[in-house]
Amino acid sequence: MYTHSTALTFCLSNTCTDLQDERYAQGRGFIAKAVNSCHTASLTTPEDKEQAQQIHHEDLLNLILRVLRSWNDPLIHLASEVQRIKEAPETILWKAVEIEEQNKRLLEGMEKIVGRVHSGEVENDIYTPWDGLPSLQLADEDSRLFAFYNLLHCLRRDSHKIDNYLKVLKCRLIHDNNC
Amino acid sequence: SEWSSERSIQIPKEQLPPEKPIIIKCRSPEKETFTCWWKPASDGGLLTKHTLLYSKEGEEKVYECPDYKTAGPNSCYFDKKHTSFWTIYNITVRATNEMGSNVSDPHYVDVTYIVQPDPPVNITLELKKSIKRKPYLVLTWSPPPLADVRSGWLTLEYELRLKPEEGEEWETIFVGQQTQCKMFSLNPGKRYIVQIHCKPDHHGLWSEWSPEMYIEIPTDF
Ligand code: NA
Ligand code: NA
Ligand code: NA
Repeated sequence: MYTHSTALTFCLSNTCTDLQDERYAQGRGFIAKAVNSCHTASLTTPEDKEQAQQIHHEDLLNLILRVLRSWNDPLIHLASEVQRIKEAPETILWKAVEIEEQNKRLLEGMEKIVGRVHSGEVENDIYTPWDGLPSLQLADEDSRLFAFYNLLHCLRRDSHKIDNYLKVLKCRLIHDNNC
Repeated sequence: SEWSSERSIQIPKEQLPPEKPIIIKCRSPEKETFTCWWKPASDGGLLTKHTLLYSKEGEEKVYECPDYKTAGPNSCYFDKKHTSFWTIYNITVRATNEMGSNVSDPHYVDVTYIVQPDPPVNITLELKKSIKRKPYLVLTWSPPPLADVRSGWLTLEYELRLKPEEGEEWETIFVGQQTQCKMFSLNPGKRYIVQIHCKPDHHGLWSEWSPEMYIEIPTDF
């Protein structure tokens, strides 16, 4: 199960790398502007190895779920709004749809794992709301592109984070910290 | 008449504030700590002091480099306590002399994306022979000693390259997370050069290649 989820996030972050060109971002000064702007930033998640190792596995699984649920809404809009970018190549268009599908599958997988760990009860309503849709629809091309860049930057960050947490959990719970 | 004896006078250099220092790069060798290096500002003949300042995404505060010593001159070392992932560091270096100071362009870095491991170690080679099948070579190696791959915090992927000693072109083989590789189709009687490097999965940079290793393919291979 873990391996399955990990493979999905792997695809997620690869796709994100394709969508987001760092040099382009540096050139336009996007990186500086991207600071403090992820809608999931309010979720406190482990920031290094020690924190990831110390957190109880149930708490870590719940955190992963919250992050994933927080992406449902923005990914639906990302997939539809990206179709309107003039300069977006064909591959990006279907990849955006693919990311949305993958997130759904990953979320389903995670709900099952967490459901099993909790033996039943899953907290259903916890996620961080996203209010970024207007920024994806801005008339000014540069502002709109920045909004896309930023959303992908956050998506890439969160998918890498989740993938990393899942690997730590897998090594801790299945391989007794001897991966 | 003859020229008078020589005299020299020293015209003092123009005293100026230092130029902008340049941040060269930041690197994390094991996904737990990182170091940044800078090119010092030209000093105009005056004693110049360099100070690294940084702020972290989500915090207002500006901090000074926690450790100028550990990683040598013109560097700042961030130990585990000062290293966070999935957060952007805004780093600048200020050069100051008695005439004034100048600040580098900001360097934005998320440590997650600057992980560059050391090369793999303990590379061994074994020739396997069996009655039923053709002989083959097994190459094995270990992750770099600094990398804690057991905890799952860092996952490494490997690539190896080989060529006959007198050959021009490398053949490159990506092997994923495995720490061994079987090789079947090598030319008997030839000497090959083999090297391996590694990189974190998804993000980060390839390590340097490991030192060249030579393998002798038996004539009956
Ligand atoms: Na990031
Ligand atoms: Na840390
Ligand atoms: Na990794």
